[in-house]
Amino acid sequence: MGTDMDNAMLAELGRQLRVDAVRAADSAGSGHPTSSMSAADLMAVLITRHLRYDFTRPDDPRGDHLIFSKGHASPLLYAIYKAVGAIDDDELLGFRGDGSRLEGHPTPRLPWVDVATGSLGQGLPIGAGVATAGRRFDRLPYHVWVLCGDGELAEGSMWEAFEYAGHERLGNLTAIVDVNRLGQRGPTRHGWNLGAYARRIAAFGWDVVEIDGHDMASLVKAIDDLPAPDSDRPTVVICETVKGKGVDFMERNLAWHAGSLGAEDLKRALAALEASRQKETV
Amino acid sequence: MPVTFTFGEMLSARSVIGTTLAELGKTHDNLWVLTPDIGATLVEFQETFPERFIDVGLAEQVCVGIAAGLAYDGNIPVVSGMLPFLSMRALEQIRTDVCYPNLPVKIIGTHGGLVGNGGSTHYAVEDLALMCALTNMTVTSIGDPAMVGEILRQSMTLPGPIYIRLAVGKKDKVLYAEGEHDVRIGKGIIARDGTDATIFTHGTTVAQALQAAEDLAADGRSVRVVDMFTLKPIDEALIAQCADETGGRFVVLEDHLAYGGLATRIADVVADRGIRLNAFERLGIPQVYAGFGDDEELRDKHGYGLAATVAATRRVIAHPSWPSSH
Repeated sequence: MGTDMDNAMLAELGRQLRVDAVRAADSAGSGHPTSSMSAADLMAVLITRHLRYDFTRPDDPRGDHLIFSKGHASPLLYAIYKAVGAIDDDELLGFRGDGSRLEGHPTPRLPWVDVATGSLGQGLPIGAGVATAGRRFDRLPYHVWVLCGDGELAEGSMWEAFEYAGHERLGNLTAIVDVNRLGQRGPTRHGWNLGAYARRIAAFGWDVVEIDGHDMASLVKAIDDLPAPDSDRPTVVICETVKGKGVDFMERNLAWHAGSLGAEDLKRALAALEASRQKETV
Repeated sequence: MPVTFTFGEMLSARSVIGTTLAELGKTHDNLWVLTPDIGATLVEFQETFPERFIDVGLAEQVCVGIAAGLAYDGNIPVVSGMLPFLSMRALEQIRTDVCYPNLPVKIIGTHGGLVGNGGSTHYAVEDLALMCALTNMTVTSIGDPAMVGEILRQSMTLPGPIYIRLAVGKKDKVLYAEGEHDVRIGKGIIARDGTDATIFTHGTTVAQALQAAEDLAADGRSVRVVDMFTLKPIDEALIAQCADETGGRFVVLEDHLAYGGLATRIADVVADRGIRLNAFERLGIPQVYAGFGDDEELRDKHGYGLAATVAATRRVIAHPSWPSSH
């Protein structure tokens, strides 16, 4: 488990990912900033401590796979690319622009993206296929990480994948569910009832972890404690999160699901994220 | 064990799929076979290569998603199933997971057309329209059961996805003698030559078109039959050649909706290339949900059986020609 200092650094990275996701969405005048912000802490922990992947060698067959099943959180994905040095700030701010490879939803035009996501409900089935190849064919120790939204758990194809992966004992597959409770036009069916998801997914043969998706210590512990990739049960980490986390006027506010920020909004959002840093450092 | 066959015999295309995949599994160690609970003839592959065989149960969407994941990792997945379900339930996965990244997933299945006596839930009649609409997809429809093996073999070197449509595939007539035609994806086959008109067709109705040409020969009519087994990319040069060589008289016959399939593909080429025709008729399934019946009964009932094919061909031959310029 990480030290308090480590956790403070992770929180700082989570904040930076939010800042960059919001800046990218602002620059594009479109995109999904709040769906990115809810998962920023989850991804900060994952990429820092667990994802074994060399961004300079995307074709290395030994590398882990990170699939954004909730492809609309692309501003977060691209903020990660910036954080690891795969793209620069200018490219990040070209998000959704003419000729940019940073499209509104991730595509394999990017060397770090396996397959196109964005149509919800499809990332986990593809992840199950990649995990099957690693387990049965390549015999490589890579791990497949799939970031899922809670909204897309209403899609039947997700449950086909849960069923398949549980039955196939794909211990090299981990689904991280960002339960930010809000879809496009209102609360999801189960809201923040993590247990409702946990019971269902456990019934499909998965190990289940339920955590606060903004608490770095419990995130670190949850992912540190995951079974080894050669285990025989896939794991789902179900995270309670806040859509728009870190910016008071965006938090839990549906208007920002696919909102474009004005110059003033961006200033306020960045100020709020900065203020949250001050508060923590004090 | 290899399937042996002789021209004119009845042969099960499904058994050809089974033996061909088992054979290809030996030469391609990255070939996988996936199915949503369909296909008794896949057993040989399953038993020989259990680690590369996946039956996901009746779950077409995840089946195609898993295939995409495998293909991304450098494998060649063949998804085998019933086409009405694969082409529609998993359409979005085929389009977005497979075609968009241009992955080499092969989709092969049965029940293309009003075949199998299963009723409208079990007839794939829109599938070619749907598949032809997908960027990067190669679309084929095979009538000769022995050809299925050759198409599967050729598909191994295609960099992108392919859709291979069969009828019921239990017992079909071997149409071509071995080596009789140069079978290549993207090239039509002149299955019978003629000069008065061309019948373009694919899949299960190739045999019917050949019979119609034979019947018309008894009247002294010389009818060409083209097995246009690749709908996409379509053999444009052959369409232009047939316009030249058979008096600009075309019949298009298919066990698919009359609008959206091969007839539409050919009409597009005719319009785009400014090919001048004297007559064009399309025979296929009208806008109905057909009920039960055996294959021939249904084709007769819906206006694209043997008698209708003969009659339409007579009409295009009898149609007056446009006055030739100058």
